[in-house]
Amino acid sequence: MVTPIKALRKNRLKTMLIFISMVVSICAIFLISAIANGVVTMYSTMLKTDGDIIVTQKGISDTFFSDINRSLGLKIEKIENVKKVNTLILGASPVNNLPIVGIYGVSKNRFENYRLIRGKYPDLHEVMVGEKINNILQTPKTVTISKKEFKVSGVYKSDIGFEDGGVVIGLEDASSIFHKSASLFLVTLDDINKQDISAQINALDDGIEAKTTDEFIDNYNQFKIIKISSDVISFLAFLMGILGIVSMMSMVVNDRKVEFGIMRSLGFSSRAIIIKLITETLIVAILAYLCAIALSYLILDAIGHMEKFQGYINGDITPSLAISVFFISIIMATLGSLLPAIWASRVDPMSLILQGGAR
Amino acid sequence: MRLKAEHIEHFYAQEHILHDINLEIESSCITAIVGESGSGKTTLLAILSSLLRASSGSVHYDDISLEAIKNIDEFRKKNIGFVFQFHYLIDYLNIEENITLNALDATKSSALLKALGIEHLASRYSDEVSGGERQRAAIARALINDPTFVFADEPTGNLDTKNAIGVFELFKEFKKTGFVVATHDKKIIDYADTIIEMEDGFVKNIYTQ
Repeated sequence: MVTPIKALRKNRLKTMLIFISMVVSICAIFLISAIANGVVTMYSTMLKTDGDIIVTQKGISDTFFSDINRSLGLKIEKIENVKKVNTLILGASPVNNLPIVGIYGVSKNRFENYRLIRGKYPDLHEVMVGEKINNILQTPKTVTISKKEFKVSGVYKSDIGFEDGGVVIGLEDASSIFHKSASLFLVTLDDINKQDISAQINALDDGIEAKTTDEFIDNYNQFKIIKISSDVISFLAFLMGILGIVSMMSMVVNDRKVEFGIMRSLGFSSRAIIIKLITETLIVAILAYLCAIALSYLILDAIGHMEKFQGYINGDITPSLAISVFFISIIMATLGSLLPAIWASRVDPMSLILQGGAR
Repeated sequence: MRLKAEHIEHFYAQEHILHDINLEIESSCITAIVGESGSGKTTLLAILSSLLRASSGSVHYDDISLEAIKNIDEFRKKNIGFVFQFHYLIDYLNIEENITLNALDATKSSALLKALGIEHLASRYSDEVSGGERQRAAIARALINDPTFVFADEPTGNLDTKNAIGVFELFKEFKKTGFVVATHDKKIIDYADTIIEMEDGFVKNIYTQ
């Protein structure tokens, strides 16, 4: 272990360049994946709160486009073992000078899900605002949504970034803003078979689709798009990392040709030289990983505190993400150093003799 | 151990470098390959030492043909040492680490350093010692695994007379090891047991003293 560290210290500049290239790549993978994770987690947590079953318009790709008849909620409530039905209208609109803010039209029985820190729950033509947006708008007395003015009745706090940076409004007002009866129902059940109740709900109307919350989250198109996009960008960052390592390691091998020639003449096998170079890169990769994870936490924390993001971007580095990225870093280092290492292992010791000038 | 080369021919691009070389070298003695630049002595040294494969002909260590050895790296590690014109010590390793880089038994390094008179330099780096001391360290690295043969290519090429003589005297001290030295340096004649004279890729003369 001492020898690889000495070799890395000797080639400080190039080691540092490899390190930076890896930190940037690993950090990019962390940030992209963490932000995508954060979006999915925030939205799914929001849906999972008090929801065993989600009912939306049939075949829609996004809950924002869902339009169902609010009166169906009453029929669903009457199904045996249904404990509670929350009705939601989800939308987004400019609020005062903010270009886009999440608007949550909710039935009164869902108000209690929002932890009030000031004021009261909204009545007609009133809204309550999340703490984040309240701070950004500097504790407004009224807000304008779609050219209509609403009195701010209270301020709530939510751990979900989308909600903390959003506005909650009664169903009647939301309906008039977004011109729809309802976006979705969140159905809470007594402890019972969810599939059975879903089937009963689906039988009520051809135009609706009831799924268990987990089923909905697993199959939600928007989540799939976010996940695929983040995977594609992460893969590109991974490739950039590999290319960075390959180019720098090629320079390192060129600089150290004599060393590898000596090693070959002393009886080091090609495999031993490949392992030596990969070990050196792996040491850099582990250090780069540690640095990247710390940097990612700092960046995500800074983004979380940036007012212009309204709390909508909440990176979430889960233990499983941290472990996956660790292995990705190891694979990146191994693949990136493999080609230069093979090249190094093939350095002809004869070149040392010829360099001596004789023949 | 006896090193035997039979009908060695070697071509480099279109050039015929070595012509029908036949020779035998005993271990435990110093063999000098001498000749002008371009006479083929270094190419012959490389072929004898397994670094280069001849275009035709064979090299045997006792009865074992180099071609038949499956793990040439392991064979080289156990049986062959190298000393080059430039010391080629690895600059980020100290003298002792250089010597034990591929040692079968690293504990031998202290005795070897002492025998070569550089035990006080064990923890120094190559840029902290003189040219002669570097070459001694390179010789120690070649000797660490008690090889049967040490091949040296112009080992005194970068040394002054005093240090050059010191290197040849060192070779004389390690009686168990055979040294095969390709050199221009006429001083080798006083130390070599066998002298192989090369000219234009041919062995002109072999004489033993």
